[in-house]
Amino acid sequence: MTRDMDAEADAFVLGLMDEADESRSMADLSSDPDWARAVGRARDRFLPIDLMADAAPVPADLVQRVTARLSEAPSVAANLPGPPRMRRLLPAAAAIVALACGIGIGSRMSDPDPVVVAVLLDDGGVPRAIVEDYGSEHARIRFVSDIAVPDGRQMQVWTLPSQDMGPISLGLLETDRAERLSPPDLPTPAGGQLYEITLEPEGGSPTGRPTGPILAKGLAAVQDGV
Amino acid sequence: MADALASCARGNQDGLHRIVEAEGGRLMGIAQRMLQRRDLAEEAVQDALVQIWHKSGQFRAGEGSARGWIFAILRNRCLNILRDGKRLSTLDDAALLAMQDARHAAAVEGLDRLDAVALRHCLEGLDDTARRSILLAYVGGYSHGEIAALQKVPLGTCKSWIRRGLDALRRCLS
Repeated sequence: MTRDMDAEADAFVLGLMDEADESRSMADLSSDPDWARAVGRARDRFLPIDLMADAAPVPADLVQRVTARLSEAPSVAANLPGPPRMRRLLPAAAAIVALACGIGIGSRMSDPDPVVVAVLLDDGGVPRAIVEDYGSEHARIRFVSDIAVPDGRQMQVWTLPSQDMGPISLGLLETDRAERLSPPDLPTPAGGQLYEITLEPEGGSPTGRPTGPILAKGLAAVQDGV
Repeated sequence: MADALASCARGNQDGLHRIVEAEGGRLMGIAQRMLQRRDLAEEAVQDALVQIWHKSGQFRAGEGSARGWIFAILRNRCLNILRDGKRLSTLDDAALLAMQDARHAAAVEGLDRLDAVALRHCLEGLDDTARRSILLAYVGGYSHGEIAALQKVPLGTCKSWIRRGLDALRRCLS
């Protein structure tokens, strides 16, 4: 069966994909030019409906408010207008990261294997970190590229064991280096489970749920027999 | 707009000023139509502009218009706000209800003001149910499940209305 890219692009642009398909489709934008063009066509098909919206007053200090925040998100990689050739390498980079991670685990004979591994990508599809969740209140995170954390903010790792439970904190990070996490007692992690890092106020989210921007996210792959 | 994005990608904040000058009112309008609250719309537009700045280097000519790319980032931010239940939990029931009613109305009204003749003609050619469903999704940011509930049909029926409607729309526009 041939893939109907235009139909998928419509569903993506209308926000009607499920979360897993949407994350994958978002990541594919930087690696698959045919998909990116299909999404561009779909956006432009519906653009006139956006142009129909009445203009609303713009806060006088809008640009100042935005420029004051420009240092808060990972910007270096996203900001480089690198050649398209480099961008097409991104899925390969993600695969290499996953592979390296697998090899790393295999070589440490004394450690048990993680139940799931998730490669967390930023909005641009760039791999940022890897979470290995061993279940039974033990998980580990490693970073594969630098993330700038502004003063007064701290990274927090989350997972979504089920829609009913909602996002659960796996822990706060002191640095962007490898860290062990001690999550609460949760159901055994499953394939496709969402993991993400958000930027929260120092000391962690005040509400116990993610409140800040998502720095990177990814879905878990079960490590059975890998 | 593509030039303004290129400026942002070079780290020149003048690009950001140009985007806000040319499209700021429209960005606020789209966000307000989808979120129906001034405070949430301002937050969405600010968040979107921060993302536009950071992702500007990823915009490529030939993959749709710069304006479509910019609006897509804002729409995405608005959808995230709508789907973050906790984000809306600060509103009391009456405010939430008023927001949902206004959002519903804004989504399905005003098609006669659509300037793009071809799109308007093709949307008007769809079944009422398919047209409403597509507009609820695009303008109001409703999910399949919410649209099925609003239209009082099972989820599967709603999905097939939308899929068939979108297929017909593409055929009509091509």
